[in-house]
Amino acid sequence: MSKDNKAVQTSEKQKRHVLSYEKRKGLYGYGFIGLWALGTIYFFIAPLIMSLIYSFNETSVEVGGMKMKWIGMKNYVNAFRKDQDYTLALVDMLKNTALRTPLIIIFSIFIALVLNQKFKGRTFARAVFFLPVIIATGPVMDIINGNMSTGGYSGGSEQFSTMFEANLVDQLLNFLGIYNISDKLSNIINSLTTDIFNLVWNSGIQILLILAALQGISPASKEAAQMEGATSWEFFWKITLPTISPMILASVVYTVVDSFVDPGNKVMTIVLNKSTNWQHGYSAAMAWAYFAIIGVCLGIIVAILNKVIYYEVE
Amino acid sequence: MATKKEEKQFEKERKAAIKAREKRMKEEGLEKFLTPDQIKYNRRQKAMGAVWPVFRFLILFGLCFVILYPLIFMLSTAFRPNEQMNDPSIIWIPKNFTMSNIKDTWKVMKFDKTLINTIILNLVSSVLQVITCSITGYGFARFKFKGKNLLFAIVVLMIIVPPQITTIPLYMQYAYFKPQFLAKIFTLGKSTSLINSGWTMYLPALFANGIRAGLFIFIFRQFFRGLPKELEDAAYLDGCSPLYTYVKIMIPNARQSFLTVFLFSIVWYWNDYYVSSSFFTNNDTVALMLKNLNTTLAKTLFNNQSVSVRQIIVWLEAGCLLSITPILVMYVFLQRYFVEGIEKSGLAN
Repeated sequence: MSKDNKAVQTSEKQKRHVLSYEKRKGLYGYGFIGLWALGTIYFFIAPLIMSLIYSFNETSVEVGGMKMKWIGMKNYVNAFRKDQDYTLALVDMLKNTALRTPLIIIFSIFIALVLNQKFKGRTFARAVFFLPVIIATGPVMDIINGNMSTGGYSGGSEQFSTMFEANLVDQLLNFLGIYNISDKLSNIINSLTTDIFNLVWNSGIQILLILAALQGISPASKEAAQMEGATSWEFFWKITLPTISPMILASVVYTVVDSFVDPGNKVMTIVLNKSTNWQHGYSAAMAWAYFAIIGVCLGIIVAILNKVIYYEVE
Repeated sequence: MATKKEEKQFEKERKAAIKAREKRMKEEGLEKFLTPDQIKYNRRQKAMGAVWPVFRFLILFGLCFVILYPLIFMLSTAFRPNEQMNDPSIIWIPKNFTMSNIKDTWKVMKFDKTLINTIILNLVSSVLQVITCSITGYGFARFKFKGKNLLFAIVVLMIIVPPQITTIPLYMQYAYFKPQFLAKIFTLGKSTSLINSGWTMYLPALFANGIRAGLFIFIFRQFFRGLPKELEDAAYLDGCSPLYTYVKIMIPNARQSFLTVFLFSIVWYWNDYYVSSSFFTNNDTVALMLKNLNTTLAKTLFNNQSVSVRQIIVWLEAGCLLSITPILVMYVFLQRYFVEGIEKSGLAN
């Protein structure tokens, strides 16, 4: 009897000990993220809430701070009802992203597959393909792209682009004697070919991510597949694609976010212009509406892709 | 373990053996050994093996050209006398080279001062950011505590929310920084506003909230989750505190991913012009200088006349060249860490 009691006691003691250890570890966890949590409240959450408040107000800047007048949803209504540029730019943006994201992803998968093979000059090729990663986010890109406004000192906004604008497909078709394909088709083809530059320059990170995932496929599985007589094509669809699918999701999310957040895109330009014109409330409302749309788009994409993705069970 | 040289030797011998076997099989008649399907399969593999490298070379060559084209153009233009810009007989190589574009641009951008300024700003922010983000990432990877999922959702939110949303409220926070005595200490008693001081970059970095901090926290978390738990358990059994374990055990194991994140951080701080343009009103960094280069060029070289981009392209390209050279040099030397680092940082899992 007493022996049993003792056993129970010790086990309880152990339990309590374990618990307290877990708790202590949890406290250490708070310690590790504490700095970030503090910073996030000040540098992220507070400004985020503040800008949400701005968006419901009419703001004016005065000495000592921002003066606000509550006007409810008016800013949002104005953005969609009165501001034609905004809705147009928004639709344009969404279309563009929807068209470009699959292209970038397919292109990155292809290039990553090629760069994963063994050949002479691979190091050089990899170095070149990741070059956009270090340049494409900077202002250098604007000059290269030629979409730089000439500032307040010039009359016209002449575009001087150093990138390709040769219309190869059109010339090829003309050469073959085909002139009158429907405008829409030739427009699509045109935008694709002139876009090859943007395509290559915007897929650095995606190639990097997918290449990293490709490294995770063991050579043994490739050998086994070859033994069984699988072609490279079959291997790609049955083994490679499922294995790298989580990374493809990451790339898709990155591509979408990147194209939405890019300060060079039209919607962002409008938002930033409004805010340099001191219409902070209006600009905040536009930014929030835009952000809400990004959020919904991302949510839909992730939900759809998550159904297809293959997660390795650990 | 075989050394690399030995491995190469093995590979050679293996290939030679396969070749010899194929030859023998051919001499005795393939049908004896293989089914027709297998013969077809082998033939197809062989054809692919012959055609594919050529195809691959063409594709890679073309795409490399697309990527390098602006850089080649930059080099060609930056050293070209302005008059020769409209000379149709010159495509790539100008008739004579000149350093005057570079010199002019250097002066206009006040490049020596700007460069030092930018490097200090970058290095301090990046170092702070890597340290604090790694600590946060470790906290998320290895500890269980209440509200962890919610907090991590905030990290994801940090990745998605564009900086454009938070910049203006942040500006107000910096401009009227509270508590005021802290602002006075930071600016050495000059003012109560942090605008135009490096603290607008250092402070967020110090609290793991710098440029793209969310992404870095995410990368570190993934990486630390991939490391075996036994490493720390052994240290805990020896009575080390978690912080000591982190410094002594985890950091040495995570060297590679530290380097990768550090490099990315440097690159993004170097390229950033949106956030810094909001907090620095006089163009203090290379990226800002370059962003406004056309305006400053028109001011200094053309007496405020209106100029088109075509007229000033040589100086613009010289400016581009100047501003990417430091980061390009870094890239050339550390290029393999970008790739290997990502591969090993556990992002692949």
